Amino acid sequence: MSRVLQSLALASLVASLLALPQGPVTAQSVPRQLRIAVGVDADRLDPAEQTTTTVANMVDYMFETLVDLHPTKLTVVPRLATRWQISRDGLTYTFTLRRGVRFHDGTPLNAEAVKFTMERLKDPRVAMALRFLVTPVQAVEVVNDTTVRFRLSKVTPTFLADLSTTQFAIVSPAAVQRAGDRWRSAPVDGGTGPYMFKEWRRGDSIVLERNPNYWGQKPLFDEVVFRVVPDAGTRLAQVLAGDVHMAMLPPAPDVRGLRRNPQVKVVEAASDRVVFVAMNTQWGPFRDVRVRQAMNYAVNKKAILASVLFDLGTVSDSPCPPMMFGYHKVREGGWPFSPGRAKELLAQAGYKDGFEVNFFTPTGRYIQDFQFAQAIAGQLRNVGVRANVTTMDWPSYVAMIQTPLERTRVQMLVLGWAWPVLDCDGVLYGQFHTASHPPRGLGPAFYTNPRVDQLLDQQRAEANVERRKALLKESQEIIWNDAPWIWLWTQKWYVVTARNLEGVLIHPIEKWTALCEPQEPAVGHHCVNWR
Amino acid sequence: MGLYVLRRLVLAVPTLLGVTVVVFALIRVIPGDPARLVLGLQASEAEVQRLRSELGLDRPLPAQYARFVARLIRGDLGRSIATGEPVAREIASRFGPTVQLAVASTVLATLAGISVGVLSATRVYSWVDYVAMGVALFGVSLPVFWLGLMLILLFAVQLRWLPAGGYGTLAHLVLPTVTLAAFSVAIVARMTRSSMLEVLHQDYVRTAWAKGLTARAVVLRHALRNALIPVITVIGLQFGALLGGAILTETVFAWPGMGRLLVGAIVARDYPVVQGVVLVFAGLFTLVNLAVDLLYAYVDPRIHYG
Repeated sequence: MSRVLQSLALASLVASLLALPQGPVTAQSVPRQLRIAVGVDADRLDPAEQTTTTVANMVDYMFETLVDLHPTKLTVVPRLATRWQISRDGLTYTFTLRRGVRFHDGTPLNAEAVKFTMERLKDPRVAMALRFLVTPVQAVEVVNDTTVRFRLSKVTPTFLADLSTTQFAIVSPAAVQRAGDRWRSAPVDGGTGPYMFKEWRRGDSIVLERNPNYWGQKPLFDEVVFRVVPDAGTRLAQVLAGDVHMAMLPPAPDVRGLRRNPQVKVVEAASDRVVFVAMNTQWGPFRDVRVRQAMNYAVNKKAILASVLFDLGTVSDSPCPPMMFGYHKVREGGWPFSPGRAKELLAQAGYKDGFEVNFFTPTGRYIQDFQFAQAIAGQLRNVGVRANVTTMDWPSYVAMIQTPLERTRVQMLVLGWAWPVLDCDGVLYGQFHTASHPPRGLGPAFYTNPRVDQLLDQQRAEANVERRKALLKESQEIIWNDAPWIWLWTQKWYVVTARNLEGVLIHPIEKWTALCEPQEPAVGHHCVNWR
Repeated sequence: MGLYVLRRLVLAVPTLLGVTVVVFALIRVIPGDPARLVLGLQASEAEVQRLRSELGLDRPLPAQYARFVARLIRGDLGRSIATGEPVAREIASRFGPTVQLAVASTVLATLAGISVGVLSATRVYSWVDYVAMGVALFGVSLPVFWLGLMLILLFAVQLRWLPAGGYGTLAHLVLPTVTLAAFSVAIVARMTRSSMLEVLHQDYVRTAWAKGLTARAVVLRHALRNALIPVITVIGLQFGALLGGAILTETVFAWPGMGRLLVGAIVARDYPVVQGVVLVFAGLFTLVNLAVDLLYAYVDPRIHYG
């Protein structure tokens, strides 16, 4: 028996000795290595083939675009391009490139490299998911080493904002050719960013090292390591244990406690992901606009946000999220909560006794999705609508959403929509235009309104900013009152960081920045800092 | 013996082929389109269709299967739809961590399980026995996920003795091993105990006692050796299963093993990866079973094949 105790003592001694190399982060000195725990492993590191925001976030450390979107002001700011001119007809963009910038392999950033990058995006062998973003680019001309000209085939009001997305990051032609087949798994020396690709241990981590020749503010850390930690609870534990300095999306129920915890900081901000309940406007009771409006009156969004989502969302007051170009606040405070009014409208429409409806929701895709669906079902029951909540895995869910109208069994479902370009066109066209009905698009409300279609088509071709905003405003008002959705909220995106890490910002497109960000050219750079 | 091994290996081939057919069919029957899942919700239908054609997913199923087998014969497991990497390379990168975890937890389960089992059997119905079997009951019942998180909270967050998940050093191996072994220790302990109890009542054991041998000689050299056959079976099966990964443990501890690779591929409908991983796993499991059978012959001289 005493031998057993001896062995136990020895084991714990060994364990504590083994723990030494992996000591916790000390408060005073800047760590050599910034460690960030993320929830997904990358699939591809080629900027052109990005499909997941978190992976693009990691790629952003290595690759840069011609222009950037200011994280809070949301204006287009210079990055690899310092100036640009747009022709009067809106079809020609001329960019002046920043001087003295070199790729990680030492080759210079020039117009040739920009031309190479854009032509590569049109190559069908490169799996660019949002290819339609580059389709308007008809030709890219090298004027001289630092001047490049884009010729578009049609007016594209969102073009500059499009260019700020990770897919358009400028890559070194030499590096791409050198890497060949291995480019998407090891994009060695191909970018201009503050950190360079070092190693990718699949399923485990991605390691980047400092770019000593970076053109901007000197990078703070020697290395940045992205640790793949799929479980949200473990991610949080790693921050609390000091193993990592930042973790994305800790478990939502823990956020309230973390906000009060002096050891850590919660950084949260509104994102562009609008979460809603889509009602199949071609099915049964939902064909009547009064029923759809009743559904909106029946749900108390503020209460659900507070008690089920732990304040991790902002009530929707428009079909379009607030930070997108063209947003118009249709109803201050969102759709009012009034079960009495809901019952009135249902009775007027002939559903005094309510009705049954199937209600689909994913699990774990959006913040507390399964949970808030049940809360909504409970509130609907109060006005007589009996919703049967069902869930399934995400791929099956996507397949269900894509079913055409004749075959679909969708009556009511939970969905979220985030558009990588902060322009209302992405939401409004993508969800409310007749052309977006499944299977062509992903608007499972099957909403169709000729006036809205007309407005959305017009704004796509309108170069004048004020006229475009007016068109978008009118479409938002019509859509809001037509209520094809139960308008819920936009999610917040949030990370938890060690107390000493300062200056982390959240981008509305669900990214964090823990780098030096150029803000106003006059103000200088904003940098993440260690105190 | 050599002929026996050869025969077993040859018989494995149709089994594995059958496995590929079942997996191939099953993964395609469930709803979900790999091309759409790779490109995301916002990609256009035209782009998705283009990728689908490029991957050969719009060709008839028998043609797809034939292509798969043709590649397999050449030793090519295809490329992952999600990452574009050769499946073999994806599996190889997860193989090391999986084997480490499987071996470590099996060794722990074997040593701890057999010790506890022998201890229980030799002090049967005493308080030692009851406590040991009680702990075994816990080990079998505790959800792996919960146990893992609790261990992380205690040893990593509170005490800071060990890292909170991740892979790399020996320290990273400790908590996942303990979590994973909890279940196996219990099974091995109970198996050893019941097997030992049977053996301890045999005549030859009584003879050994009568000869005046020490307790250690009787229990370990005579009784345990004979009790081991069913225990080896259990350990072998556990080890074989662990070579396919341990998804819950890997998820909680951020361990880059085959379990996460497989489940991730299923969620993404990454057909080549699913087919490849299951095939490799089935092959390994077959080999482990063969090794266990050969081990019987070593442990029990009465058994021979041929």
